[in-house]
Amino acid sequence: MHAPKPPPVRLPAPACESLGVARVPLRRVHRAAAAEVVSLELWAGAHLPMIDKETLTRLAERAQRFTPRVSLAPPDGLLLEVRGSLHLFAGVAGLRAALTQDCLHLKIQPLIAFAPTPSAALAAARAGKPLEVLHASQLTGQLASLPLTALRWPQDVLERLKRMGVRTIGAVLRLPRAGFARRFGATQLAMLDALTGRTPEVRAAHRPRVRFRRRRDLDYELQNHALLLTALTPLFTQLGAFLKARQCAVVELECRLIHRQAPVSCCVLRLASPFADAQRLRELLGAQLDALRLPEPVRACELRAAALVAYVPDSATLWQAGEHGGGSVRETHGFIEHLRARLGPEAVHGLALLSEHRPESAWAVTGPPAAARQHQAPEPGEVPAPRRPLWLLQTPRPLSVRDGLPRRRGPLRLVSEPERIETGWWDDGEIARDYYTALDIHGVRLWVFRERAAPHGWYLHGVFG
Amino acid sequence: MYAELHCLSNFTFLRGASHPHELVEQAEALGYSALAITDECSVAGTVRAHMAAKHRRLKLIVGAEFRLTCGLKFVALASDRHGYGRLCRLITRSRRAAPKGQYALTRADLEAADPQGCFILWVPAARPVPEELAWLTQRFPGKTRVAVELLRDGRDGERLAALTRIGAQCVVPLIASGDVHMHVRARSRLQDALTAIRLNVPITEVGSRLYANGERYLREPARLKRLYPPQLLEATVELAAACHFSLDELRYEYPRELVPEGVTAASHLRQLTQEGARWRWPNGVPPADQTAIEYELALISELGYESYFLTVHDIVAWARGRGILCQGRGSAANSRVCYCLGVTSVDPQRGAAMLFERFISRERNEPPDIDIDFEHERREEVLQYVYRKYGRERAALAATVIMYRPRSALRDLGKVFGLTPPECTRLAKVMQWWDGSTEIAARVREAGFDPASPWLSRLLPLAKELVAMPGFPRHLSQHVGGFVIAAGLLEELVPIENAAMPDRTVVQWDKDDLNDLGLLKVDLLALGMLTALQRAFTLVNDYRGTRHALGELPAEDSQVYDMICRADTVGVFQIESRAQMAMLPRLKPRCYYDLVIEVAIVRPGPIQGDMVHPYLRRRGGAAAVEYPREEVRAVLQRTLGVPIFQEQVMQIAIVAAGFTPGEADALRRAMGAWKRTGGLDPFRERLLQGMHARGYPQEFAQRIYQQMLGFGEYGFPEAHAMSFALLVYDSAWLKCHEPAAFACALLNSQPMGFYAPAQLVRDARAHGVEVREVDACVSAWDATLERRADGEPALRLGLRLVKSLSQAGTLRLIAARTARPFASVQDIAARAGLDRADLEALAAAGAFASLSGNRHFAFWEVAGTQRVLPLAPAAARGTDIEEGRPLLAAPTEGQGIAADYASLGLTLGRHPLALLRPRLQAAAILPASELLRAGNGASVRAAGIVLMRQRPATASGVTFLTLEDESGQVNVIVWERVGQAQRRALIESRLLEVHGELQQQDGVTHLIARRLFDRSQLLGELLTRSRDFH
Repeated sequence: MHAPKPPPVRLPAPACESLGVARVPLRRVHRAAAAEVVSLELWAGAHLPMIDKETLTRLAERAQRFTPRVSLAPPDGLLLEVRGSLHLFAGVAGLRAALTQDCLHLKIQPLIAFAPTPSAALAAARAGKPLEVLHASQLTGQLASLPLTALRWPQDVLERLKRMGVRTIGAVLRLPRAGFARRFGATQLAMLDALTGRTPEVRAAHRPRVRFRRRRDLDYELQNHALLLTALTPLFTQLGAFLKARQCAVVELECRLIHRQAPVSCCVLRLASPFADAQRLRELLGAQLDALRLPEPVRACELRAAALVAYVPDSATLWQAGEHGGGSVRETHGFIEHLRARLGPEAVHGLALLSEHRPESAWAVTGPPAAARQHQAPEPGEVPAPRRPLWLLQTPRPLSVRDGLPRRRGPLRLVSEPERIETGWWDDGEIARDYYTALDIHGVRLWVFRERAAPHGWYLHGVFG
Repeated sequence: MYAELHCLSNFTFLRGASHPHELVEQAEALGYSALAITDECSVAGTVRAHMAAKHRRLKLIVGAEFRLTCGLKFVALASDRHGYGRLCRLITRSRRAAPKGQYALTRADLEAADPQGCFILWVPAARPVPEELAWLTQRFPGKTRVAVELLRDGRDGERLAALTRIGAQCVVPLIASGDVHMHVRARSRLQDALTAIRLNVPITEVGSRLYANGERYLREPARLKRLYPPQLLEATVELAAACHFSLDELRYEYPRELVPEGVTAASHLRQLTQEGARWRWPNGVPPADQTAIEYELALISELGYESYFLTVHDIVAWARGRGILCQGRGSAANSRVCYCLGVTSVDPQRGAAMLFERFISRERNEPPDIDIDFEHERREEVLQYVYRKYGRERAALAATVIMYRPRSALRDLGKVFGLTPPECTRLAKVMQWWDGSTEIAARVREAGFDPASPWLSRLLPLAKELVAMPGFPRHLSQHVGGFVIAAGLLEELVPIENAAMPDRTVVQWDKDDLNDLGLLKVDLLALGMLTALQRAFTLVNDYRGTRHALGELPAEDSQVYDMICRADTVGVFQIESRAQMAMLPRLKPRCYYDLVIEVAIVRPGPIQGDMVHPYLRRRGGAAAVEYPREEVRAVLQRTLGVPIFQEQVMQIAIVAAGFTPGEADALRRAMGAWKRTGGLDPFRERLLQGMHARGYPQEFAQRIYQQMLGFGEYGFPEAHAMSFALLVYDSAWLKCHEPAAFACALLNSQPMGFYAPAQLVRDARAHGVEVREVDACVSAWDATLERRADGEPALRLGLRLVKSLSQAGTLRLIAARTARPFASVQDIAARAGLDRADLEALAAAGAFASLSGNRHFAFWEVAGTQRVLPLAPAAARGTDIEEGRPLLAAPTEGQGIAADYASLGLTLGRHPLALLRPRLQAAAILPASELLRAGNGASVRAAGIVLMRQRPATASGVTFLTLEDESGQVNVIVWERVGQAQRRALIESRLLEVHGELQQQDGVTHLIARRLFDRSQLLGELLTRSRDFH
């Protein structure tokens, strides 16, 4: 026995309504007699192929000159609401030309389209169609021929639509609303509604980046470094307040000193880690200023910090520096910063051991020095580390030979058995050597080797402590 | 004097860098007194080493290296047969406890395995742990030694002192050993590269995990003398002397349980044969056959092969009982005994009754060789039966050693040199599978790599070492079906390990190793055609009520031979390949034995030995059939004086050159291997002189020798051809008389054979079979036969063709359909519980056409189906939501065809080329059908979908292409020069345009290519051209 088949559910009339036919007209400025509907908004959408994030942000900042309503559509789109500014740029054509100029300046070839809704403008641009739709009534008609891929929907949605033979925006707008929503979800429907202007779309406006830039004109010219630093103090106070208010930190601080004739003297402080303490920054800059030679007295000074980053404060320690090991890491850090400020960032580096048999390749210079590792006792069975001198010469130095034995300020005495190293054939550093520990006549322990290949030369490679 | 007792060969995969034979040869050259091959938890390389050492003065010791999970490392050396058995058992246990390629062994396992009869060398870690030695000596008192390996790491003295102290504490003697990984120091680069491959990191990142130096080679005794105290060196010789096991001691025994209590094997075999004879000849055995049976049984008895025949019979009888079609072939299979036992179905009458001795000889003291083919989809049942019957400790598959090929070598080495995976693929792709190892540098250059660049100049020599003969082993895999069955415990004969497939176990030796040691192997192989034949018999018998069976179809049907002579053989076993099809109109087979020749003659052996043309000329009467001597006539008469089969070459050696049958067999083996080992020269002298002495002309002798060289390993035995010819005839008969059932069976047995479903369906339709499309409302999983109004069968395509449709979903679909026909797509989704993926697969296949119209609507409806929860109220389940029918454009014909191909791999619509024809015509491209009329020597253009590319090893660089268009197929020949100049178009095209010259001969047409153009983008345009935006 089959249960009687329940009657089909009839959806209300709008279910059969197709996606494209907007019941509710767009918001209108006024209803003209000839029904020429001019939309309230006009969006310029720019497709910027291959643009990187940095350039996109810069472009957005430049575009502020057209309109305050600039919106990013990452990764490669930019939207401008330009209805209000059209007349300033001699209409759509003028604005297109000006915007294109700006993009070309940044070495980006843009594709620009104009439409009453941001989605439509962007879709047209991304489809490579430089549409200029000024009237809402023309929108759906103009969009119809665009490929669906311009909407950047998820690949599986596009794939499913493609299998139904739906490849254009026009075809998708012809589908029944309810059926479409049931199959592809409310998100896609909402996007279509935003596209055609059926529902308004809210776009977040782009906010320009924060940066710090303060200048102080001095009452009298200065050449004394100490006085200069004092003169900079108010600027540092302002920087401190600025950073605090925005929870920011600097990684690079530029101090510019302006002279009467000579070009500006510049002093750049590069930090190993983000810094927010204005007082310490002043000290570090002071250290660097000392090394600066001023060609002329200074009339004005300026502090600039462009690259601001969010500041994450360290947790403070209970102990004072030096007590129970408290604060040692930060102390070390501070000391290293100080050394770097004094000697230049390149002069201070760390060392690391590498897993390699070749002595020359078994260590490397590292950038920021890492915290000292705890020394661990060797595991049983672990390969014991080979004997290596602390001081390894940059390049092995040839030794003179007499009676087959090496000499350096007198004969050397080999006091160890040979350690044979033959490796590195895969790059240009192939070696084949027998290493020995040798004593010279003063009792200094040297690390020497003999080439395995003819002419079997002897070399000094290091000195044990 | 010194004996190396710790030496890895390259059968410790990706660690050892030298072949076993290289190690043996080098050890002998250095004057070592003995060499132990001690691969890590393996004896896979020992047979090779054994064979190499056999003819030398070097003593070979069998052993293995182990590392316990706790880190303890030792080498076990077999001192006698018992110890060897224990060693094998230990390896088996460790290997079986871990996934393929690995092993796991704990101290408890080692104690349990109790390797008596083995010496244990403790291999201490870099920082020796004295407790390890204490533990070992306690378990193996008197058998333990400390291996002192001094490898010049700068701490040799320290190490020697420490080990002397530890040894003294435990009262264990020290011996010298070398941890050898290669036979000469020069292999250390390769050893480094192998390490990088093993660790799967670029060589620049392997760092200290590489060995610091190249000391792990077979060191010169003088060097060792400087390193080691003399007593440590002497200790090695003493220990080697205490090991007196040799692989020659292994004795193989056949399984015994197949003989009932109180009966001898001989009388049991006789009884089974007599029963079989009554079944085969219900009207009484003809006297000639009876005599032959008696003769064969006597010979089998004399050689003691009863158990072998009984084993084969047992397997075949079991399969037959399960309705699994099978057929034996090989040296002993064409005997009357095998015919009676049901091993083969070839009636000896039909097979021009051959002498049994041709296949089994008194002098060749080696087991007879029978291969049994089973239906490919049911062979696994047979394998599992053998495992069940004999147990996993007595039966296992033979191994196959996977060697480096040019492509895999380049891919792995590319990784070593830091190439990204896509770059490795690009590098590997420069080699086609047919390219030889000598061409690597040239190919790499062609592909735009600079062989002189620093990294390639280092990579290429390594690649050469990896692919050099006899091939560098990479891992152990399973043999396709060679079973080793032992009377006792197999695991005490050879270690057994897990294969990649579940429920499979393999021994560590491959078929050559087993052969060398004289171990019995039964090949249980899978053959797709047997599956297809079984299905076709069932289909025909069910449809027509007949009782057809293998070997029992009406014999020598002239209609069948007519069809074969027309080369109308798509789908027919063996003779469907392009080369066979080209031969058929020339050879014109008219009887069973012609098929035997046809099967054997289109092989690299006869082609390279230049036997084809002489045979065809004699057959066509263009050349006289003559024999240099009367005794040769007996051998060659059935092939018109031209040796075609392997057996004939051997027999000529016997009758014309005076070889003994045993020597002839050695010759056969050498023929198989001469390309690898070059060992045919000793036979050449013997052969030419023997024939000269017997008065044969020099020219005849030379020709025979050349033919032997050509045969190489490709010579096809008559014994196999006899069995294959039966399958050829039966499949041809079915194709001729039951084309619908035959096509149906082939489709249901895919993948198999030479042709894809598209060509099989096209061929069936060309023979008047009505083919009906896949339909969710009608189709079963398999293709089926439907009765038409006129009583003839129509072929309904099965759902198995539908890409990514699950078999479980199909079963539910069919079950729901049987209850009540479907009303809509939603109905299918609800009642059959199909998920979205299955529904979309069916929509893509066009299987909803009868419910929803074209594919676009089908997808719309599938997307709208709702998953009905099983516990939803009944009212909600059947609910249909009525919604407006959407405005969807119908797919174009091109889109439909492309969708058919994408989902089903075939179309019942027009051929894609038919749609492109107007454009092709504009470019003066002829369809295949008109091409035939263009005439010999005409300059023509053709285009088609590339069905296959072939590059036979015999054709010296020539590539054969088969193109297909809407009117038929075009056979294209691309000479090496043309192919190299246009390699990309040759290799990458899906749709290829060829300009060239027509060549017609003996009714066979070829297009000799001059220019090749890749036109694949036209196929894509079929899809995209219809887009409605521009």
